[in-house]
Amino acid sequence: MMDFVHGALATLVLLTLVKSAPIVYAALGGVISERSGIVNIGLEGMMTGGAFAAVVASYATGNAAVGLVAGVAVGALLGFVLGYGATKFKVDQIVAGMGINLIASGGAAYGLVLLFNQPGASPQVHALGRWYWLLILFAFVCAFALHHVLYRTPWGLRVRACGENPRAVTSAGLDPLRFRLYAAVISGALAGLGGAFLSIGEVNIYSEGMTAGRGFIALAAVIFGRWTPWGATGAAVFFGFFEALQFVLQGRVAWLPSEAMQALPYLAALVALCGLVGKVRAPASDGVPY
Amino acid sequence: MNAYRRLFSGPLGAIAIAVALAALAMIVAGVSPIAGFSALFGGALGGTSNIAETLVQTTALLFPALGITLAFRGGLFNIGAEGQLLIGGLAAGAVGAHLHAPTAVAAVVLLGLGAIAGGVWGGLAGWMKAYFNANEIISTLMLNFVAAALASYLVVGPLRSPQATGAETAPLPHSAWLPLIVPDTRLSISILVAVALAFLLRFVLTRTIFGYELRAVGEAPEAARRNGVQMRRMTWLTLALSGAISGLGGATIVTGVMHTFNTELSPGYGFTAIAVALVGDLDPLWVCVAAFGFGILESGGLAMQAVAQVPKDAIHVIEGCIILILAARRYVATRTESAPV
Repeated sequence: MMDFVHGALATLVLLTLVKSAPIVYAALGGVISERSGIVNIGLEGMMTGGAFAAVVASYATGNAAVGLVAGVAVGALLGFVLGYGATKFKVDQIVAGMGINLIASGGAAYGLVLLFNQPGASPQVHALGRWYWLLILFAFVCAFALHHVLYRTPWGLRVRACGENPRAVTSAGLDPLRFRLYAAVISGALAGLGGAFLSIGEVNIYSEGMTAGRGFIALAAVIFGRWTPWGATGAAVFFGFFEALQFVLQGRVAWLPSEAMQALPYLAALVALCGLVGKVRAPASDGVPY
Repeated sequence: MNAYRRLFSGPLGAIAIAVALAALAMIVAGVSPIAGFSALFGGALGGTSNIAETLVQTTALLFPALGITLAFRGGLFNIGAEGQLLIGGLAAGAVGAHLHAPTAVAAVVLLGLGAIAGGVWGGLAGWMKAYFNANEIISTLMLNFVAAALASYLVVGPLRSPQATGAETAPLPHSAWLPLIVPDTRLSISILVAVALAFLLRFVLTRTIFGYELRAVGEAPEAARRNGVQMRRMTWLTLALSGAISGLGGATIVTGVMHTFNTELSPGYGFTAIAVALVGDLDPLWVCVAAFGFGILESGGLAMQAVAQVPKDAIHVIEGCIILILAARRYVATRTESAPV
């Protein structure tokens, strides 16, 4: 029994890190875009795009690093689509984000059939191997970096100002739309990295639906973490922990259905949204075109 | 006249671009667009059974699209139609399995239950918005996943039928099935319910005080509030009604098509329905037309894949592009305005 407990605890800690990392990446992406004033419902799609692109590039070149770059690039591209639409055409960001999600999941499924001639999952490709531990570490480095950039640099101050009061940014002689566009691109790149981690980090294939709502969990983490990098990271790890717990407890604890743990991130976000765990305030101009 | 101009500058423009994209997707897949489109439309509209299947898809999309239309017109972003569908279907499936009653009674009871369950699910988001100022976009989105987890738990556990091979509720007795319009197809009278509902919704929106207030809240919340519209009540009522319409749709899928409940109820109808509502320009009658168009895509996509070897998922890319293009026309005016007081 003790052996099982020790083994399970070690597994739980490691698995928590593995399961958290992609959510941390996407949640940080959510933080930067929302702090700049762009609501990013398309995180899920950007993760899907990143996961699929990483596999395709790794398959084509036989090099997982190229796959990683491709995943980031495709995520950034989708972020650009959202950012460009939101700044140039003042699109409704929610509707556009939903569109991006559909395009990414449909596009990946279309690509699977077209490129590999097999629906459902890609063939196995070169994965990152041991490097993926570095990628887990890098997620926390990103959290630190984003915190530093947002709160300790002029650029970060301006990004936050765009999310609170873009007019003030204009009156300071700067263009808030440019900051928002950059923030959206970075947001997409981070989500794409999270997606690539899922496909060529954790495993070595792309399978349909592999992001399994992690983009939306990341969105929940942004809210639960109150739109701050460390808060969102903490929330992402918290949700990652419960995902890991599901694996460890699988079938062992009958009274706690795994569905309860699947629903937990969303319930936590709902509770936070209602202001039941302290005051929750989104950036004042979040989602408002300028 | 203005309405027609709006329609041509927006939705019809988007459709034109979508057709071009579809042609591109076919060319990329190495198929001539002529062959691709003829497979698509042949599969959707060639013969009675194909048309019936297209109408089944139309109905499945029309209910949530009407629910979304109602919420958007009231200035509320309901992206939780998927969960509301599921909960409505769950209620109908759970009770329907044990309901032995004449068809007419069973239909009224089960569809009513579906509407109530969906209404509660939508109303929950409305209540959180009205009393806690919780952003309804996020709450409806999150409730989708809670609904999915709840439904999955129930069909794997307490509600699972001992006879069924998969995780699903016991089958509905034949008396509880919705009558078919065309024999030997899956097309039930639910499409008539959906179309009647569209006319009713249009009447309510344009000819009743409630509909006027709802649109006023959607288009000019501050003016509505100052003129005495009870914002809190409107908020939860709008989302509850919106959820009820989707829940009703879920119940029709269970009683009319599946005759049992499992989590495969909707392959994303609730999300596609957003596109349907937007292409229909949030006008209930045009939404019917849009639902038929998307029904063609959904049912023709399979034929396109089988006959012309164009992956059917291209359809979703096209739908996504339509949404993206239409996002440029703003539908919900002042979302960040805190409604209550």
